[in-house]
Amino acid sequence: MASQPATPGAASTLRDERKRAQLGGHRGSGARRGEALAAYLFLTPYFIVLGIFYIFVLLYGLGLSLFKIDIGFTAPIFVGFNNYAIIFQQLSYAGDSDFWISIINIIKFTIVVVIGQTIVALLIAMLLQAVTPKIRGVFRTLFYLPAVTSSVAISLLFLWFYTPQGVINYLLSLVGIPGPHWLEDPLFALPALMLLNIWCTAASFMLYFLAGLQDLPRELYEAAQVDGANRTNLFFYITIPLLRPIIFLVVALGTIGAFQMFDQALFMTGGGPLRSTLTPALQIYYAAFRDNHFGLAAAMSVLLFILIFVVTIFQRRLIDTSLS
Amino acid sequence: MAQISAERQRDTEAATQGRADRPPRRFRWFNLFLYAMLLILTITSLGPFVFSFFSSFKTFEHILDFPPSLFPNPWTWDNYAKLLNYPGFPRWILNSLIYSIGAAILNVLFSAMAGYALSRLRFRGRSLIFVLTLAVMMIPAPIMLIPRFLIVNSLGLANTYFALLLPAMAQPFSVFLMVQFMKGLPRELEESAMLDGASRWTIFRSVILPLVVPALSAVAILSFQAAWNDFQWPLVVLGSQDMYTLTLGMFYFKNTYYTAYNLLIAGSMFNAIPIAVLFFIFQRYFIEGTTSAAVKG
Repeated sequence: MASQPATPGAASTLRDERKRAQLGGHRGSGARRGEALAAYLFLTPYFIVLGIFYIFVLLYGLGLSLFKIDIGFTAPIFVGFNNYAIIFQQLSYAGDSDFWISIINIIKFTIVVVIGQTIVALLIAMLLQAVTPKIRGVFRTLFYLPAVTSSVAISLLFLWFYTPQGVINYLLSLVGIPGPHWLEDPLFALPALMLLNIWCTAASFMLYFLAGLQDLPRELYEAAQVDGANRTNLFFYITIPLLRPIIFLVVALGTIGAFQMFDQALFMTGGGPLRSTLTPALQIYYAAFRDNHFGLAAAMSVLLFILIFVVTIFQRRLIDTSLS
Repeated sequence: MAQISAERQRDTEAATQGRADRPPRRFRWFNLFLYAMLLILTITSLGPFVFSFFSSFKTFEHILDFPPSLFPNPWTWDNYAKLLNYPGFPRWILNSLIYSIGAAILNVLFSAMAGYALSRLRFRGRSLIFVLTLAVMMIPAPIMLIPRFLIVNSLGLANTYFALLLPAMAQPFSVFLMVQFMKGLPRELEESAMLDGASRWTIFRSVILPLVVPALSAVAILSFQAAWNDFQWPLVVLGSQDMYTLTLGMFYFKNTYYTAYNLLIAGSMFNAIPIAVLFFIFQRYFIEGTTSAAVKG
C-alpha cells in the first residue's frame, strides 16, 4: 500500500483531468463555477485550521518577535529587532546564557540521537527483511510498540528505571559496572535522555527502511553475487546507495524531531541538573510562561526554526555528495 | 554437501520466482544469529512495558527493591484504587477521551472533505493549497507554540475544549493522507452518479467515503493517538485542574508525588494501555498510515 500511490495514481489523474476538461466544455462555465464553489465549501474547516493555526500563526510569530509582550501587565511595545539583539548579545557569554546553552545541548542531543536511531532502525529493518514475511509481521508489531506509547508514559517509566537503585543500574551491576545517578548528574542526564529517545523513536524509522528495502531490485543483488560479492559488499555498494532517499528522509525527520525535544526534558529533569538538559523548546516555554517574555520567546522560536531549516538543507547536500 | 546443494537449489528457485523479500539462506548459524537478535530486540522493546505492568501492582515499600523482582510480592490493587480516588483523576481520563475522540471524529470528517476537494474537484488555488499543506507538515510544533497560545488566549478560548479541538480538527497530515488515497479512485463512479443527478455531498458521502474506509480508519486512529498522547499543547492552554488531560494531570501529580513510583507507574499504565490495546487491534492502520505519508513518491 505504501508504495502503490505514486506514479500510476498521478498518471490516471492526468488522464481523467483531460477527460473532465472535455466534459466540462459541454457543461459550460456554470458547472465549473459550481464545482469551484463546492470545493471551497468542502475545504472551509480545513481553511480555518490551515489559515489560522498554521499560516497566520507563522506570520504572527514573526511579528511577535518584534514586540515586548508581558501578558497581564503592559500593552505590547514595538521594539524592532531588540529581542534578537538581546539573544545575540548573550553570545559573548554563551556559557552562561540559557538560550545558547540550550542550543549547544540540542546540537549534542541531535547528533547522537539521529545517528543512533538511523543505525538502529536500519539494522532492525535489515534483520526483519532477512526472515520470512510471517515472522516479520509479528516482530514488526512487537518492535513498534515503544513508538506508539506516549512520551509522558515513557517518561514516567524511565524516571523510575533511571533512579540510582533502578533497573538500569541493576543491569549494569550484573556486568560489574557501577551505575551513575543518571538524572541527577549533569554528565549523565543528557545521555540518559538520548538513550531513551533512541529507544522510542528507532522503531518508527524502522518502518521507513523496511518499506525502502522491500522496493530494492532483487536482480542487482543476484548480479553482484554472481560477480563474487559478499554480504558486506552488497550492503555497502548496493543497499546503502539505493536507500539514499530513505536515509535522507529518516535523517531529516529525525533531526526535525530531535530538535524539538520537549516532553521528556520538562517531565524528567525540568532542564536540570545545572541546565544540562535544557532544550530550546523548553527554554522557549520557560521564557514565555515562566518569565512572561512572550516576544523574546517568539524571537527564540524564529531562530530555532532557521537553525532547523539550515541544518536540514545542509544534511541533504551532505548525504547527496557523500553517498553518491 | 548434498544438503548445501539442496539449499543452493532452493535459493535459485526463490530467486527466479522473484521473491524479493526472501534472501538466500546459506548457513544455519546465520539463522541462529537472526533469531537470537529477534529475541534480544523483543526483550528490549517489550521488556520495559511488561516489567512496569507487573510493577504497577507492587507496594511503595517494594517498588525500589534491589535487586528488582519481576513479580510483585505482595500483589496489591492499592495503586490503582488510590489513583482513581485522587481528586480529579477520573475527570482527567474523561477530558483525555473528549479530546481524543473529538479530534478523531472531526479530523476524519474535515480531512476527508478537504481531501475530496483537493483530489477530485478542480478549482483555482488547488495546487497552492496542496503545496502549503506539504510545507506546513514539516514545521516543528514548538515554533508555533507561542503565537498559537496568544491567538487562542485572545479569542478567550484558553482553558476550554475548543482550545484543544480547534487546531486538531483538520490536520495537514490527515488531509495529505486523504488526498493520497482518493486521487487514485476511478473517475467513472462519480460521473455516473453525477448523471443520476446526485449532489456533490451525496457523491462524497455515498460514493467516495465507502471506498476509502482504510484511510478513514488510519486517520481516526492516528489522530486519537496524537491527542491522547499530547502533552505540550494541553500544558500551555489548560489552566485549571478540572480541565487537565491525563498526560497533563500526571505531570502535576508527578511534581507532587515524585518519589511514589508505584503510583506513577500505575498512572502511566492508564495512559499507555489504551493505546497499546488499540495498536494491537488496529496495527495495520498505525503502520500503513505512518509509512504511506513517508513514501510520497
